[in-house]
Amino acid sequence: MSFIDQVDPELIDALDFFPAELMTAIGDDPPKAREMFIPLWAAGDTAIPPNDVRIEERMIPTPDGEVMVAIYQPPTPAPRGGLLWIHGGGYIVGSGRNDPHGIGFADHVGCAVVSVDYRLAPESTYKESVADCYAALTWMVDNAAEIGIDANRVAIGGASAGGGLTAALALYNRDRGGHDLAFQLLIYPMIDDRHETPSGHAITHPTVWNREVSLKAWRMYLGDEFGADHVSPYAAAARATDLSGLPPAFVTVGTLDLFRDEDIAYAQRLMAAGVPTELQVCPGMYHGAEMSAPDADVSRRMRLGYRDAVKRAIG
Amino acid sequence: MSFIDRIDPELVHAVDLMPAERYIAISEDPPKARQMTEEFHRAMADALPPTDVTIQETVIPGTDCDIPIVIYQPTDPAPRGGLLWMHGGGYIVGTARADGHGIGFAERAGCTVVSVDYRLAPESTYKDSIADCFAALTWMVDNAGELDIDAGRLAIGGGSAGGGLTAGLAHYNRDHGGPELKLQLLIYPMIDDTHDTPSGHEITHPTIWHRQVSFEAWKMYLGDEYGTDHVSPYAAASRATNFSGLPPAFVTVGMLDLFRDENIDYAQRLMAAGVPTDLHVYPGMFHGAEMSVPNAAVSTRMRTDYLDAVKRAIG
Repeated sequence: MSFIDQVDPELIDALDFFPAELMTAIGDDPPKAREMFIPLWAAGDTAIPPNDVRIEERMIPTPDGEVMVAIYQPPTPAPRGGLLWIHGGGYIVGSGRNDPHGIGFADHVGCAVVSVDYRLAPESTYKESVADCYAALTWMVDNAAEIGIDANRVAIGGASAGGGLTAALALYNRDRGGHDLAFQLLIYPMIDDRHETPSGHAITHPTVWNREVSLKAWRMYLGDEFGADHVSPYAAAARATDLSGLPPAFVTVGTLDLFRDEDIAYAQRLMAAGVPTELQVCPGMYHGAEMSAPDADVSRRMRLGYRDAVKRAIG
Repeated sequence: MSFIDRIDPELVHAVDLMPAERYIAISEDPPKARQMTEEFHRAMADALPPTDVTIQETVIPGTDCDIPIVIYQPTDPAPRGGLLWMHGGGYIVGTARADGHGIGFAERAGCTVVSVDYRLAPESTYKDSIADCFAALTWMVDNAGELDIDAGRLAIGGGSAGGGLTAGLAHYNRDHGGPELKLQLLIYPMIDDTHDTPSGHEITHPTIWHRQVSFEAWKMYLGDEYGTDHVSPYAAASRATNFSGLPPAFVTVGMLDLFRDENIDYAQRLMAAGVPTDLHVYPGMFHGAEMSVPNAAVSTRMRTDYLDAVKRAIG
C-alpha cells in the first residue's frame, strides 16, 4: 500500500503544506529554508492568539549571552501553571515567536506559555540549544512570581525538534538536580538520530519530514558526534540509558510519521522505568498533520489529546 | 519503584479487589474460578445505572453445538451498526451474560451488540472458541434485517481474552472470506503466549492478571500447541506474520498491564502493514482497571476513548 493511500482522506489536501523545496532547503540551504518556513508556519488562524491573551517578548540571560522568549498570558487568575514551550523545525528552522503550536496552550489550558527562541543548527549545535532551553526554564522558575506562575506547576513541551529538546531537557534538568517538573509533553518528538526502525525507513515522501532531510538535520545539529557511538542523550534522548526519575510524560505521534516507532520505543522505555506515561498514536497522520490540516477529525483528536494532557498536569 | 507505587492513586484501593485465590483457581480449579468470576461480575453489573437498552438472551446454531448469545439493543433508530463482543476471562472463565460491557457500547455508540458465549478452555481449545465467534459473526450478517443491523457497519471487539479472540477472529475472517469489518477493538488483548517483553516479565502482582496465571491459561487454551513454535495465529494473534488486509484497529492498554509491550508491538505491526490503527496507552492502569474502578478519571478516559472509537466506526 502506497504512502498516499494510507493518509487519512481529510489530510490529503494538506500534504503539500510544506513544499518539497522547503524540505530540500532545510538540508542544503538553511537560511533559505528559514525564510520559507516562518511565513508558512505562522500564517494560519492557529497562529493568532485570542484577543484576551497578552503577548510580551523579552530577552533573558543565558550562561553565554541572552535569548528571546515570547510570553503568552491568558486572562485566568494568577498564579497559573507555566509551560515552557520549545518550537519545532528540525533544529534548523523555526522561531519562538508566533509559534501556533505554543500559543494554543495559553488559551486551552489557561497556563502561561514561555516560548523560547533557542539557537539553531548549523550555526550552533545541540549544546547551545539545550543550554538556552535550560536557561529559559531556570528563568521561569526564578521569576515565577513576576510572571504569575505557580512554580510547582511547571511543564515543558514541544513538537518535533521541540519535542526532542523537551525530552533532552528533562534528562538535563534531572541530571543537574534542577527544577521539579510536573510534566513533559512530547509531540512527535525528534529524539533518535539513527532512524533504524520500520517507520524510520518507510517514510520517504518528499513533502513531509522524511528520512533524508532528517538525517541531514541531525548531521548539522550533532556536529562531530553525528554517526558516532557516543551521541549525547541531551542531543538525542533515545540514546539515554537511564530514564528513571523523569517527569510524567505524554507522547503522541501519527502512524505515518518518520518518528513513529522510535517515539513508541521511547514511551515504552519510560513506562518500563516507572515514569507515568501516556502514549497516543493516531491513524493516517503524517508529521505535523494536526497543524497543517487543523480541522480534520483526527487532527482535532490529537490536538485535544495533548492539550488536555497539559491541562490535567498544570491546569 | 514498586508496582503499587506506580498505580494511579485513584486505582490503588481496587488492586486487591479480585482475590488472589481466583487466579490460583483459574489454573487449579476452573469451575470454582468461574463461579467466583460470575459473582464478581454480577456485583459490578448490579451497580450499573438503569438503562433503556433491551437485553435478550438466546441461542444460535454453531458448527457443532448451540451457542448462547446476549443481544443488546439500544433505542436508536434502525438500521444500526452491529458490534460482535467477546467477553474476557483468560479463555477460562467469564460469560456473555455477566459481562458489563454490552450496555455501554449499545448506549454510547448506538449500535446493536451481540455478545457471544464461546466455549472455554480447558474443556475446549482455541479452535472451538474461534469457531463459535465466527459462527456468531456469520449469524449476525445472515440475520442483519431481523436484528436491525446495517450489515455494512460491522465491528468486532473484546477485552483481555476477548480482545485476543477479536484479533484472532480478524485474521480468521480475512482468511475465510468473511464480511467486511469496519473496526477491530482490541482492549488490552491477550494475544501473545510467550510474554517475552519487559512488561511480560514485570507484572507479577498476585491479584491482577500476571505472568504466571497467564501461562497457565495459555497452556489450557492452546492444548498441544503450547510451548511449540507452530502456535496458530488464530489462537495467539501475535504469532501472525501477515497483517495486510485486516480491518482498522483500535488498541488500548494500561501502562501496568502484563500485555502492555506485546499490545504495543502488535499495534506497530498493524501500522507497518498499512492497517489504520489507533493506539492509546494510559498511565498507572493495571489490567481491567477501567472496569474495576469505573469512576476514576483515567478509567473514564480510557472507556470514553474506546466507546468513541466504536461510535466513529459504526455509529
